Formats: sequence, C-alpha cells, structure tokens
Amino acid sequence: MASRKKILIVDDEEDIRTYLSSLLGDQGFETLLAKDGEEAWKQVEANPPDLITLDISMPEKSGIKFYREIKAHERWNTIPVIIVTGVSEDMRKFLSSRHQVPPPEGYLSKPVNREEILTLIQKLTAVP
Amino acid sequence: MMDLNYKQFFEVMPAYLTILDRDLRVIQANQRFRKDFGDFEGRYCYEINRHRTEPCQNCPAARTFQDGLRHGIEEQFKKVNGQEVALIVYTTPIRNEAGEITAVMKMATDITEIKLLQNQLQESRERYRHLFEEVPCYITIQDRDLRIVEANRRFREDFGEVVGSPCYQVYMHRSEECVPCAVKETFQDGQVHQTEEVVTARGGEQMNVLVSTAPIRGAEGQIKSVIEMSTDISPIRRLQSQLTSLGLVISSISHGIKGLLTSLDGGIYLVNSGMEKNNPARLKQGWEMVERNIARIRTMVLDLLYYAKDREPALQWFPAQSVVEEVYGVVRGKAKEVGIEVLTDIDPMAGDLSADPKAVRSLLVNLAENAIDACRVDKRKSGHEIRLGVRGSPDSIEFQVSDDGIGMDQETREKAFSLFFSSKTGDGTGLGLFISNKIVQAHQGKIQLESEPNKGTRVTVKLPRRGPMSRAASSKPS
Repeated sequence: MASRKKILIVDDEEDIRTYLSSLLGDQGFETLLAKDGEEAWKQVEANPPDLITLDISMPEKSGIKFYREIKAHERWNTIPVIIVTGVSEDMRKFLSSRHQVPPPEGYLSKPVNREEILTLIQKLTAVP
Repeated sequence: MMDLNYKQFFEVMPAYLTILDRDLRVIQANQRFRKDFGDFEGRYCYEINRHRTEPCQNCPAARTFQDGLRHGIEEQFKKVNGQEVALIVYTTPIRNEAGEITAVMKMATDITEIKLLQNQLQESRERYRHLFEEVPCYITIQDRDLRIVEANRRFREDFGEVVGSPCYQVYMHRSEECVPCAVKETFQDGQVHQTEEVVTARGGEQMNVLVSTAPIRGAEGQIKSVIEMSTDISPIRRLQSQLTSLGLVISSISHGIKGLLTSLDGGIYLVNSGMEKNNPARLKQGWEMVERNIARIRTMVLDLLYYAKDREPALQWFPAQSVVEEVYGVVRGKAKEVGIEVLTDIDPMAGDLSADPKAVRSLLVNLAENAIDACRVDKRKSGHEIRLGVRGSPDSIEFQVSDDGIGMDQETREKAFSLFFSSKTGDGTGLGLFISNKIVQAHQGKIQLESEPNKGTRVTVKLPRRGPMSRAASSKPS
C-alpha cells in the first residue's frame, strides 16, 4: 500500500488549520500543522511534507518570509506551495512579478473553494 | 509805491484775506473773498463765513485780539452760492505805532481738495484695514527673524496678542523654526510659497491650515517683510480623513472577513461531515467553530461601529483589575520579543466599573502597543519598561499606561489625538489614539497625555465608575 501524501498546513488561525486538516484527512492525506513560519520550518525539517498550504499574514514569521526561504533552500525548494490567503489579489501579482523567487505552484483566496483546493492538491501531489 | 504793491498783493493773493475789527466785523477783504463770499461791508465775519448770527466758539481772530498771537484752525465756510469749503485759517494781529492791536488779518486757504484726498486715503486705509481684520483667515506679517509684526483680528482672537513673538512659537508651540519654512523661502526667493500645517490655537484646538506666503517690498523693491495667510481647511481634511479611514477599514475588514468566512465554512464542513460519519465529536467541534466565528463577526461589526459613531458603549459591570490583567496577557509576549518588560501596578481595591469591557480593552491594548512602539524606536538604551496601572476612587477608575521610551515633544503631544496624525514615520495609521480618545469620550471619561522627549510618556484614562451619565440608569447588580 502506497504511503499517504503529507500536507503541511501553515495558518495562524486554529479553526482554519482544523478545517483544512479535516478536509484533507477525509481525502486520505496525512496532515501536519504549523501556526507560523517558524513552526513550519521545524515541521519541514523534522517531517518533510509533499505539499505546503501557506497563509501570508501571520504574527511571527510571515508567510512571505517563509516562502522566500523555502524556495531559496536547495533541499526543500521543490516542495510545491499553495498560498491560501485573505490578502488581496495584488499579492499574487506581486509574487509573480518578483524574479528572485519562482511563483507559487498555487494561489487560492480565502474563503477557499473546497473542490478547487482538493483538485489542485491532488494534481500537485500526483506521482508522475 | 510800496503801499500800492501791498494792496496789489492783498488783492491777488490766492487765498481769502480779510481784515477784522474788534467786533469781528470785516473791514477789508480781497478780491477772491469778495467773489466767493459776496458783499462784506458792515457785516460780521461769522455772518459771512458761517451764516451765523453769533461769533463762533474758539474764534481764532477773537483769540488773537486777546493774546496778540497768531492762531490757526481748520474751518468749514459756506460760500455765497451755498457751497461748503474746507479752509485752514490763520489770524495775525495788526498793530498801530503804539503797538496796540487795532485789527486782525485773517488768511484762509482752501484745502477742500486736500481734505477730499485725505478722506479718500483714510477711507481706503480703513477699507484695507477692515479687509485685513475681517477676512475669514489668519494673516500675519513677519520680519526676517520670523517675528510677527502685525496680525489680523481673527489671528489675535485664536492665537492671542502675539506681536513680537516668533511665528513657530505661536503657531506650532515649537522652540525652533519649522523646516521647511514658507516665510523663509519667500524671504530668500521673493516667490509665493504654499504649505500645509497642523497648528494649535491658544485654547489647544488643532486645525489643519493651508499656508500661503508672499513678499512685501519696499520702495526700492527689497523684501521688507512677508505676509503669511493661513486658511483653516480642517473640515476638508476631516472629510478626507474619514474617507481614507473608510478605505483602510474596508481593506482591513475585507481581510478579516475572508478569514472568518473560511473558519465558518470549516465549521459547516465539520458539522456536515460529522453528521454524515455519525461522529458526534466532530459535529460538536464544528458547531463550536461556527459559534465562535459568529461571535467574532459580531465583535468586528461592533468595533466598526465606533468608526461610524453609531455605537453606544455596551455597558456592564466588571472588575477594573481584570481588564488590565487581560491586556497584560495580550501585550506581554509582543513586548518581550523586542526586549521590553511589562509591569503591572494594580490596586486590588480598585473595584468594579460600568463600562464597555471590549472597548476599554481595545483602548488599553492600543495605548500599550503605542508604548511598545515608543520603546522599540528608542535606541538610547536597551531594556525598557512599560507599566500598566489601575486604581479606583469612589467616583472613578483611573487606568494608566506609561513607558520610558522616546517620548513626545509639545507639538507631537498636541496632535496625538488628531485623526491620521502619526509620529511613527510610515508605520502608524494615525487611527489608534483617535479611536482611543473616541472610546473615552463615549464613556464621558478623560484622557490625559504627559510626555517629554527622551524621558517617556504617561497616558491616564479616567472613566466614571458608574458609566456615562445618560446611561446611569444601568444599576449595579447586587
């Protein structure tokens, strides 16, 4: 039996972590949780995920900072990242316009559409 | 020959010449007098000149008869054709060989034109003075040292009798010149300059003014002084601020609502999937999530109503101590991260108060966050302290937030409660203290700011223990 894909959910809102964790767990994913960029790094190093859903506005290390660091990291830069945020669409354009970092593999606005996030995660974690 | 010449001169002099006897009867008059005042023989001077039946008071001729001196006076004569003329009249005695005054010569020069011009000049001056005084803006005239040499009525009313004081002291309550200074720039280049400032009237009221300066030049074109005209544009700025505030609020709400909707959606998912899977624990967890987020939406809406001025404080009795402890819990972590220690100074006997606990909490969190910022930017030392205090008196509760951070100068203190004034050079929105002040006002309380640069700041909020007067009906539960 193939091992379950691991998804790291990074969001400062506990309710949102619980929600995404239940939603993805129901679809057979294993979920890891982190409330900010600091915790996310610890999770990545202790238990490397197959995909990360990442919030932008977080009180400690922000999602942008974490994203920049992971995409610059030679070992972890291949982990797909879906940004899930309430920050305006301008952020997506901003991220895409920055040439220092590659654009994220996915960008979803809150409130997320369940079908959309599941389809995207399944696509990005599918074995080629 | 000489006699003839005098007579000729007397006749052709371009003035009114008359000789009067002691009874003030005209005994001789020159050609011009005769032409304009008619027949004089046997008539009195007051009769001819003023159409009076009795001598004039303060008659210069009578005085010359009395004291033998020359006298001058301005008088109004009426010509034979009824036209009034303004004259300057001089009298001089005519003496006989024994030195006795036998007659008085009266010379009157027509100054009607001069008088007219004088009146016009006076009127013109008064008109300009009136305009200067009554124009609905503040006008000062300043010298090169930026000292006010003249100020209009409105300026004097709102800023005091300040002639001789430097503009920056009067207008801005500063001890040093403003940079840049429009008046200085006008002195330098002779051009009109415009700037916008926040000034403080003598009553402490703040206003946004649009300042325009222009040079006043001397006869040779050199700049003697500069006129500064300031128009109060506070109502426009207030409106603009409200609109900007609305924009910020909408952007912030939009972000908040997106998060809340996601959480609500999550709650609904857990409820539905809990029912489908017959999993009561998940259902309970989902329902709690829904309830929690509905409560958060409610709080958000109520907070927003403070901006919209619609919200009355939701009064309830609660221990003053508890709100300070709660705020301490909220800000302690944030402060510690930047090396600031938060201390409390709580009077355990402070007791309860009737207020809106959420509003009071927001107010104190805001003040504490400002204190953190004031310490954070103070690079003079490390290891700052913030104190959160509360004490009670029979009628009121006094909260205090103090820090040993960077402090504020007088100008910053005075503007601190203005909407959109921020001293945080780009980091602040200028909303915090404005909203704090509004919360205090809604509770009919008082907020006091004491601060000194490089020493620190102490904000004291005094709230009536029994809540605002109009809502005093809410009685304390037993």
